[in-house]
Amino acid sequence: MNPHSRRRCALVCCVFIALFSAFSFRLIYLQVIKHDEYAGLAAEKHVYKQTIYAERGTILDANNEVLAHNVPVETVVGDATHLNNREAIVDLVGSELGIPTRQLAEKLNSERRYIVIKREVPESLATALRAKLLARNLRGIYFENDATRIYPNGSMLCHVIGFTDFEHRGIQGVEASMEEYLHGQDGYRYVEHNRVGQEIVPYRGQERAPRNGYQVHLTVDLNLQNIVENEIDAAMDEYRPKKATIILMRPQTGEILAMANRPKFDLNLRSEAKPEEMKNRAIIDMMEPGSTFKIVAAAAALNEHKLRPDSTIFCENGLWNFGGSALHDHRAFSYLSVRDILIKSSNIGAAKLALSVGEQKFYEYIRRFGFGERTGIELPGEINGVIRPPRSWSKISITRIPMGHEIGVTPLQMTVAMAAIANGGKLVMPRIVKSITSADGKAISSLSPVVLRQVTSPETARQIGDALRGVVSDRGTAAAAAVPGFTIAGKTGTAQKVNPNGGYEQGKYVVSFSGYLPAERPEFVGLVVLDDAQTSKPELNYGGLIAGPIFSRIAEKAARYLDLEPHEEIRKAIPIERVALTNASRH
Amino acid sequence: MKRSHRKNRNPVNAASLARWIVVTAFLALAGLSYVYLTLQLYHLGERKKSVENELSSLRTQNDVASVQIAALTSRSALQRRLKEGYLKMIPISERDIVRLTVPARQADENVIQPVVNEPATR
Repeated sequence: MNPHSRRRCALVCCVFIALFSAFSFRLIYLQVIKHDEYAGLAAEKHVYKQTIYAERGTILDANNEVLAHNVPVETVVGDATHLNNREAIVDLVGSELGIPTRQLAEKLNSERRYIVIKREVPESLATALRAKLLARNLRGIYFENDATRIYPNGSMLCHVIGFTDFEHRGIQGVEASMEEYLHGQDGYRYVEHNRVGQEIVPYRGQERAPRNGYQVHLTVDLNLQNIVENEIDAAMDEYRPKKATIILMRPQTGEILAMANRPKFDLNLRSEAKPEEMKNRAIIDMMEPGSTFKIVAAAAALNEHKLRPDSTIFCENGLWNFGGSALHDHRAFSYLSVRDILIKSSNIGAAKLALSVGEQKFYEYIRRFGFGERTGIELPGEINGVIRPPRSWSKISITRIPMGHEIGVTPLQMTVAMAAIANGGKLVMPRIVKSITSADGKAISSLSPVVLRQVTSPETARQIGDALRGVVSDRGTAAAAAVPGFTIAGKTGTAQKVNPNGGYEQGKYVVSFSGYLPAERPEFVGLVVLDDAQTSKPELNYGGLIAGPIFSRIAEKAARYLDLEPHEEIRKAIPIERVALTNASRH
Repeated sequence: MKRSHRKNRNPVNAASLARWIVVTAFLALAGLSYVYLTLQLYHLGERKKSVENELSSLRTQNDVASVQIAALTSRSALQRRLKEGYLKMIPISERDIVRLTVPARQADENVIQPVVNEPATR
């Protein structure tokens, strides 16, 4: 090769070397130096984080009966830029989903890429629509998986269970208070799409499985709840009160066995419910309790050893002027024992009981019974009630508060106070949540009874209990609350309704009865409250005559359901051969 | 002529050729395997996706079925059926209930008593 050719050859080689070096440097620049930047841009375009939604937990009753759970539904959405045959799509989707064609056409007549056509479409309907769209090769309509909350029992226990919003967050009842446990934790997955939007499965990135919400088991027994719901409905029909509340509670543990309020609403049709219907009046309504509150005055006087159950008090023959104001009894009583003050429900007697311990001590007992503070039940929106301190009392307050005036308490507070008497003076925190478990039944949390304090000595509680047994007798104000075969202790209450503009409303009463059964070994405490019950005659508008019989019917059915053994009086009615069998079984 | 032909002939190195053939075949096989396995990966990915969809669909059907079961066996549904006359319930009267009382404990029940095996008598 001559030198000229050799130079040319070298030149060509240099050009090629320069060219490939440039390519190499460019490649290194793109693939190494700019790697992160371009990888990020590519990921932004093709990779996205797909949320895997956690399933909301189920709510169950004490016997594992389902109260709230989820049903899969789909949300139908449209991408206006993908619609290939707008008219046909509008006709098909409109007719299938029951949306007026014109309305749907207006919705889709845009360039928006995400148009929600209908939410909560049942799975079967969505599947059918999907198949029809595919068969006719119509594009631009997509389906997103979703779930909606279903309450199989409709309005039963509606105020306790509560409900969720569109984002599946609890906004009332246990759904709200147990949100942390019910909600679960969403998972995610990084996925990469190809040009036509299909996932490239081998390129799946990091993934985290969702954790479904826990199951919440309530203390409520649906069988007892059913008894209560039937009776409250019957009471609504018979007396047409404005509001009503019934609570059943186990005094030893504080477990709420049943809780019903009226007015009510259907949990599955919650969008149609009025605000008034959604209130859980057992914890957010304040009432003047009336004579049921006399147990506090009596307990204070007995526990402080100011008086004994058989100590007599002069009840001023039905009219007592104190602090420049007259205090009446419904009947003229002369001398009554402390026991009889409760049995006969003497206002003057109760006032004198409170006076015997003094303002400050009486106030302390009111607070010790749990009035004026939240009970701590696992339900949202509970109120404190209103108990003013003695420095804000008028001269006559000490005589009015013992008969349940000048204070505001919730029905639940009243039930808890009665439960303290039934429970030997121990005040127990009411509970509505029994336990929390995972979906496979593993225990996450189990709530045990919480004894808040010893309000009175067991002896005082027994003495009050004895007096309350007399209330449900021929001598007392609540003979109609008796249940054949069982001893019942209880107290009636008839409080004139407070006028929001001041004073009291004439002829309007809040009637109540609070009691427990069996009196000697209480299995449950119950409270019945009817606000502004309508009676044929005004003299029939008393707690003992209205709320007492309702309690009696509930207690009788509940005792049978709980298989409580009646006493001897009932056994007398049992045929001889049955008694023989019962006795024989002892040996 | 014969001499010059022999002189210009390029002798083929059979061992080298064989080595090249093996290397080329190996590379070709490796390439084909790579393509095959990549395609398999995509295919299995599709299959995985389809199984996932099937599983999700079955889970959905299961959920729908359990919702229906819960709705049909709920207290409200049973009460409705009772009202409509599909079910009939007769309350059990107090006379028909037999209660078996737990036997009372003996006072000396918890006392530890020695056990003696009586010797066999002839």
